[in-house]
Amino acid sequence: MLRFFVLFIAIQALLFGFELTPWAQAHFVEPWTGALAAISSWLVTVFDPSVMAIGKIMRSTQNGFAVSIEAGCNGVEATIVLVAAILAFPAPWKHKLAGLAAGIVAVQGLNVVRVISLFYLGQWNREWFEWAHLYVWQALIMLDVLVVWLIWVRTLPRGNGGGPTPPPALAAA
Amino acid sequence: MTAAAQAGLPRFVLLTLAWLPVTFAVWYFAAPILLYPAFALAEAVLRFGFADLVRAVSMDGSTAVVLTTLKPGQAAAGGQVSVDVNLLLYSFGMPMFAALVLAAREAHWPRVLAIGLAAMLPFVAWGVVADFLRNVAITAGPAIASQTGFTQGQRETIVFAYQFGTLILPTVVPAAVWVLTHRPFLERLRTSR
Repeated sequence: MLRFFVLFIAIQALLFGFELTPWAQAHFVEPWTGALAAISSWLVTVFDPSVMAIGKIMRSTQNGFAVSIEAGCNGVEATIVLVAAILAFPAPWKHKLAGLAAGIVAVQGLNVVRVISLFYLGQWNREWFEWAHLYVWQALIMLDVLVVWLIWVRTLPRGNGGGPTPPPALAAA
Repeated sequence: MTAAAQAGLPRFVLLTLAWLPVTFAVWYFAAPILLYPAFALAEAVLRFGFADLVRAVSMDGSTAVVLTTLKPGQAAAGGQVSVDVNLLLYSFGMPMFAALVLAAREAHWPRVLAIGLAAMLPFVAWGVVADFLRNVAITAGPAIASQTGFTQGQRETIVFAYQFGTLILPTVVPAAVWVLTHRPFLERLRTSR
């Protein structure tokens, strides 16, 4: 249990520190944020052709309303937490890699829903937008990370990462 | 074994989502009381750790108001810089933790809820202090930042502490505390199908 939490915190701090470097921002975070805006806009145009993406900004050509996807809203931090939780947990690498692939898709998928919902919520009511943006969606995304991690832990073969007993992180006190 | 664990993960997730509106409402309206200990902790850190920068600290609703010793600019003689920090920004994990506890509903859950919420208070205080420091050392502009006397290295540490306290801690701490306090539940959840 202690090993898991120490590793979890260390990997998180390492990845988060790396994310803040100018190199990671320029080569990873900013391109990903732009892609997220483009994916969200592309999905929305299926039912609303008046939406376009310019860089990390998603804008309505009908009323001029726009949202800019900033740090904390691009799902990068949530992904870092998931990656740290999966890497820190004792499991075979094959399962870790599968969990990372599926988990990142699940977290970023919900994040696309967050971006689209906030885009429309902001056009409807600014107060609700602020509430959903600052508090509710933050909690929901982290709940998503927790659930994805729990699902992944459930898929692990019994006996892995701790012999026939439950893995350390879940072993009863 | 609790019903939630017996019924498995889907029921547990649905129960958590059902509790969220309730816990968010309680958190929002009770914030001035619920977050007062975090405010008091932040106040102590600000007063003792940054006594040269802080003149007075008060709480207005769920906002910490920090009156500084810093001057807004040479033209505004006698004026002082004041920084408002919204405690809700760093404590939205509390309703999430409460919803998780209520959905799991293990034995002694009120005690677990109280201990868990108390464990989160220092991290809320972290966010408040880091937010204040970022305001005066980074975002307030060179006229004010130069009065703080922070070195470049200290300013970079403040940025990291602020980003970590804003983007990671408010969501990770509740989930981590919940995992730590619900290990038997998690094991049952893991084995249920």
